[in-house]
Amino acid sequence: MSRPPISLSHALRMLAGIATAVTAALLLAAPPAAAHPMPHSVLLLDVHETSVSVELELPVSDFSRASGIELDDRTTARQLAARRAVIRRYLAAHVRPTTLKGKAWTVAFGDVVLNRAEQTSTGPYRELTVRATLTPPAGGDTRHFALGYDAVVHQVVTHTVLVSIRQDWATGHVADGDGGSATQVGVIRIDTRTMKVTPLTINLETGSVWSGTYAMFRLGADHILEGTDHLLFLLILLLPTPLLASRHRWRGTVDAKTAMGRMARTTLAFTIGHSLALALSAFGKLDIPAQPVEAFIAFSILVGAVHAIRPLFPGHEAVVAGFFGLGHGLAFSFVLAQMHLSTAQLALSLAGFNLGIEAMQLLLVLLAMPSLLLLTRLPRTAVVRCACAALTAVAALGWLLDRLGLANPVARAADSAGTHTSELFVVLTGAAVLAALWTAVSRRRGRGPVRAPDTSETLQRTPRADFALRNRR
Amino acid sequence: MVASFAAGTALLLGGLYTANAATGESGTSVAGVTASSSSATSADSDSAGSGVSDVVTAANAFIATLDSDQQSSVLLDFTQANATAWSNLPCGSTCRVGIELSSLSDTQLTAAKAVIKAATGTGTDTGDDQVTQILAADDYLGETATGYGSGNYYLAFLGTPSTSGTWQLHFGGHHLALNLTYKDGAVEGSTPYFVGVEPTSWTGDDGTSYAPLSGMYDGMKAMVDSLTTDELSEAKLSESFSDVLLGPDDDGAFPSTKEGLKVSELTDDQQALVLAAIKPWVDVADDDTAASVLSTYKSELDETYISYSGSTDLSAQGDYVRIDGPGVWIEFVCQDGVVFSSQIHYHTVYRDHNTDYGGEFTFS
Repeated sequence: MSRPPISLSHALRMLAGIATAVTAALLLAAPPAAAHPMPHSVLLLDVHETSVSVELELPVSDFSRASGIELDDRTTARQLAARRAVIRRYLAAHVRPTTLKGKAWTVAFGDVVLNRAEQTSTGPYRELTVRATLTPPAGGDTRHFALGYDAVVHQVVTHTVLVSIRQDWATGHVADGDGGSATQVGVIRIDTRTMKVTPLTINLETGSVWSGTYAMFRLGADHILEGTDHLLFLLILLLPTPLLASRHRWRGTVDAKTAMGRMARTTLAFTIGHSLALALSAFGKLDIPAQPVEAFIAFSILVGAVHAIRPLFPGHEAVVAGFFGLGHGLAFSFVLAQMHLSTAQLALSLAGFNLGIEAMQLLLVLLAMPSLLLLTRLPRTAVVRCACAALTAVAALGWLLDRLGLANPVARAADSAGTHTSELFVVLTGAAVLAALWTAVSRRRGRGPVRAPDTSETLQRTPRADFALRNRR
Repeated sequence: MVASFAAGTALLLGGLYTANAATGESGTSVAGVTASSSSATSADSDSAGSGVSDVVTAANAFIATLDSDQQSSVLLDFTQANATAWSNLPCGSTCRVGIELSSLSDTQLTAAKAVIKAATGTGTDTGDDQVTQILAADDYLGETATGYGSGNYYLAFLGTPSTSGTWQLHFGGHHLALNLTYKDGAVEGSTPYFVGVEPTSWTGDDGTSYAPLSGMYDGMKAMVDSLTTDELSEAKLSESFSDVLLGPDDDGAFPSTKEGLKVSELTDDQQALVLAAIKPWVDVADDDTAASVLSTYKSELDETYISYSGSTDLSAQGDYVRIDGPGVWIEFVCQDGVVFSSQIHYHTVYRDHNTDYGGEFTFS
């Protein structure tokens, strides 16, 4: 057997450097939003190739005063349903986009719901959220148009409407969620000199295929990083790969090469599984309900956690990763589905998004690998492994219950872990560096890492584990 | 090495400020005032609000209590950007300029308050008394919610305080924006003045009752209550208001057409009520200036309009009154409370068509 071209500790040091650089890049934050005295309306625009979707967020107090439609803190869902038609009729009279030459677009209204909201210095208040689709005449331009809009402001003359772009694939604006990262493109309010409201001209810079694809790559990377469940599934499955199963117990270890081979195969299988499902679901425009998919993912983590404690399918982690990967791929496709992309955009998005997922996944697995290998050589390794698995199982159970309709604090805590990505990197990088140092020190002393003095693991059928590899020449 | 560089920079900056101040003062040595340690206390014992020279003396006494870093936060250029940097929101230094009161020592704070006292009127619920109560209101809010308190107010001098040249006293925080512009030893403009309060009244720990906008409310209420049904329908605006129309950043944006009921159509008694309604806002300036400005507004009454929206009860969200003349612009509006959401609170703004910021800027 030949010696690897680069020593393991060298590779680990390089990895630590890369991880630090990636972490720094990901930590660059967006600027904060501006303050306004009273709750204002917000229009969040999603710009597509042939239409513009809008989410209108309207504070009920001023909306009710302006429209004469009774809505307040006590309005029930049933009352709202009864007023849906009149709300849409009012908005139809006040949402009038046109081409720059004045030709009218068509406007179709969708969901009408009541939410709670709070803006800077307003205190909490109730807000009406309405979705609409604005479509230009045939051949019309969705990047340059006049947004004729005077809902609320025609009557409540102190009201302000902030107009923002939430999604614009062509310019790389693809963040999903509630518009926290939307870019403000204009303000609609009455001109107090003339007491008139003039249409807001929307003039978006020309986008490119590159910015859209790159943005999807970033989104994919963020998604695996923040979606704790996907990462946890893979890591828990990798946890016992360096171990040897015997008589329904994990007893002893396999050699480092075998372990790394298993890790590579498992990661690859997970990749193939979720890529396949993602592509099928996205291109087939399959309308798959989210809840069972999410529950399936929680179940997959639970299975992985049990396997880490007692071998269920030793040596076949790759097959299991591939199978459950299908479910994870379906979950990824929900992100794309809500973006309403054209087919060309979808193909590029799929490629970019999936590459982003793979790149981040590979980085994280490589960072975790030295720790996973070293873990089996530590004293009391079984205790540590079982503790990790048990913690994961608890999170998985929390998610499973949550996704079956039983909200619980465990699921909330597990979800919130996804917001601490920088800490995750610090821990993984730190562990990788420590593992590298350990290896380097062991090599210098001319022997492998110390043997685990765990007396319960008596069966040592493989040669002494050493991932310095040198002793095996 | 670093320390000596910092000290050198501080010395240099300090020297620059002294030099600037001396030029602005045209001969009067500010450096001399800076050296005098007794000036802060002498300003403090001054009787309030007479001439501009008293304001300048109090300002220099305050400046003398500050170190050079603090002086650089207080002494700013009289630019449009600095002058218009005010808000009704508790947005601290993100929306305004000047030094934060909470950063001052007791001596410095006393000297700062002496400046406000010297520059504003001596009435009850107007001028300095009103400003002091607005700060107290924020301490009261701070007992219930975070982000409020009398320390979160900012004082700046835009230009160098002097009895010659042009400069502005710029002070404010949540529910308060005081902009007094001085030119050649006289007040050139006492607007924009934003004043609001939440809650509208409260009782202090020592049992004192506060209602700093009650005089303003009373004046507006008496004015609208004097109107006949016909006059009311003429005064009624078709639009609705959930805040003042010309708040922060709406400088120079007065409606080109005046709306509502023309004051010349009213009886002498009613006209007197209009003038009385205007007075509490005008009284923000020192007493001499206020009297002079009020007489100008009196002479312009015939061309002045009054209007309202919502109801004349002035007790619910959206109840709104406006006085719009050739010079004067006052808005008074009732809004739902933010901290005490079951009560309303007041926002008001006093502007002048011609002399906002002393008329030193043109807004397009």
